[in-house]
Amino acid sequence: MILPKFDYKKARTIEEALELYNKHDGNAFYLAGGTDLVPLIKLRLLQPKVIIDLKGIDGLKDIKKINNSLVVGPNITLFELKQNPFIKDYFPCLFESLEATSCKTLQMRGTIGGNILQNTRCLQYNKSLEWRTARGFCLKMGGKVCNVVPNSKSCFSNYCGDNAPSLMTIDAKAKLVSAKGERTVRLEKLFSEDGRSPFTIKPGEILKEIIIPLKKTKGAYEKLTVRGSIDYPLVGVAVTVKKDAAVVAVTGIGPSPHLYEIKEINEKSINEVADWAYEDARPVLNAVLTPLYRKKMVPVLIKRAFKRIGAGGGR
Amino acid sequence: MRKEITFTLNNEEVTVEVEPKWTLLYLLREVLGLTGTKEGCGYGECGACTVIIEGKAVNSCIYPVLEAEGKNITTIEGLSKNGELHVLQKAFIEKGAVQCGFCTPGMIMSAKALLDEKPNPTEDDIKEAIEGNLCRCTGYVMIIDAIKSVAAGR
Ligand SMILES: Cc1cc2nc3c(=O)[nH]c(=O)nc-3n(C[C@H](O)[C@H](O)[C@H](O)COP(=O)(O)OP(=O)(O)OC[C@H]3O[C@@H](n4cnc5c(N)ncnc54)[C@H](O)[C@@H]3O)c2cc1C
Ligand code: SF4
Ligand code: FES
Ligand code: FES
Repeated sequence: MILPKFDYKKARTIEEALELYNKHDGNAFYLAGGTDLVPLIKLRLLQPKVIIDLKGIDGLKDIKKINNSLVVGPNITLFELKQNPFIKDYFPCLFESLEATSCKTLQMRGTIGGNILQNTRCLQYNKSLEWRTARGFCLKMGGKVCNVVPNSKSCFSNYCGDNAPSLMTIDAKAKLVSAKGERTVRLEKLFSEDGRSPFTIKPGEILKEIIIPLKKTKGAYEKLTVRGSIDYPLVGVAVTVKKDAAVVAVTGIGPSPHLYEIKEINEKSINEVADWAYEDARPVLNAVLTPLYRKKMVPVLIKRAFKRIGAGGGR
Repeated sequence: MRKEITFTLNNEEVTVEVEPKWTLLYLLREVLGLTGTKEGCGYGECGACTVIIEGKAVNSCIYPVLEAEGKNITTIEGLSKNGELHVLQKAFIEKGAVQCGFCTPGMIMSAKALLDEKPNPTEDDIKEAIEGNLCRCTGYVMIIDAIKSVAAGR
């Protein structure tokens, strides 16, 4: 499959990248590992005039301990991040989700920034132009209705990132930079909950840092897939336990991860959150397993994660 | 709007004119005629297009060609020396790890990247290294055996 025409520019500094973006009237995409972006361009789902490679910007590749935080550059590959001793030691939930992401080849190329900002997916969307033309364009492609839920004006595409949910459970923040300056938001604020345009990041803004408070946690990541490797999550559950409290994030169903808090961990509170997450989960027929199965697996994976952490939960 | 790039391909410096929209796989197969590297899916899902860039196994089908500037790239064609197959290639033949052969170049490149980095890998390391390479024929057991036999120096 041949790519459509575009130009490629390599930025050496953040300023240069922002300038290149503006110069092309926003008809540009930033490129990190390209493992999400290039397939989307191949499918003609995105047609940028230029792709701006951020990998030449040195400052985006560091992992630093600053005061009581771990500051992670977005261009760190998933594989490099997984090997950082802090991750395994302090954030087992993130370590496990990194391990569970795609496969080694893609982990060595895909970055954590690109992983967080990957587009949402749908069986009707991630298809060739010919296929989509024959079917008729849906909402996410600029059409009038959703092709999965007839007559619906909402898009139910799934956010399939494995690592943003883990990062949310450990209170990660994102530092964004644009020509107007910098802003820092909690990671969950990056999600718009609208499948057509899943992020609140403004056009041209660059994710500059991911900031994680350095506190030791216990945690686990559970992922439902058909195959043992390569597959995106059909449901993913991140659980992080801090003393008596816990945070749970559910990914893979709908346009943004769902977040839940448990103030005091016990059998009852775990069951309550599992029931609540079951009610919240509204999968539709746009992934390779049936919606009902995926829904039913949400509480199962939540309880399984708690059990593995050793904090109750049953089967 | 062609641009010139220079990189090392199978130990030789090459300079070629490319279009920014090309993938590395397109350059290798369609322009340079190195058809050993295969196109299975074209979307990063199967590993048939795996080459080694700066010591790492990479899917060349989703690799924008202009990124190749200045890089050291090895393809399956770069493994044999003076007509003699590389030990991994021999092992794949001896252990019956090749059936239709379509996945083989990619499998061997992923295995080579692993062995270059870790000459004595565990079985889990081997499985991890080839987890992005799909094979529809062998059932993987023979492939793992072949890589193991080279790792053990046998
Ligand atoms: C076969 C296959 C299987 C996969 N399986 C999984 C899986 O199991 N789990 C999973 O989570 N993902 C999976 N992925 C998706 C993808 O590989 C990962 O999400 C990867 O980490 C994306 O990172 P990247 O650097 O390649 O992103 P890119 O493709 O380079 O970028 C992704 C998006 O982020 C934007 N972006 C990147 N960096 C920045 C920045 N610093 N500032 C602003 N915008 C930025 C880009 O413009 C683009 O829109 C899979 C992909 C493939 C092809
Ligand atoms: S959920 Fe509906 S609108 Fe969204 S991508 Fe799928 S078909 Fe399109
Ligand atoms: S052809 Fe590149 S991964 Fe399938
Ligand atoms: S030998 Fe046929 S796909 Fe592997």
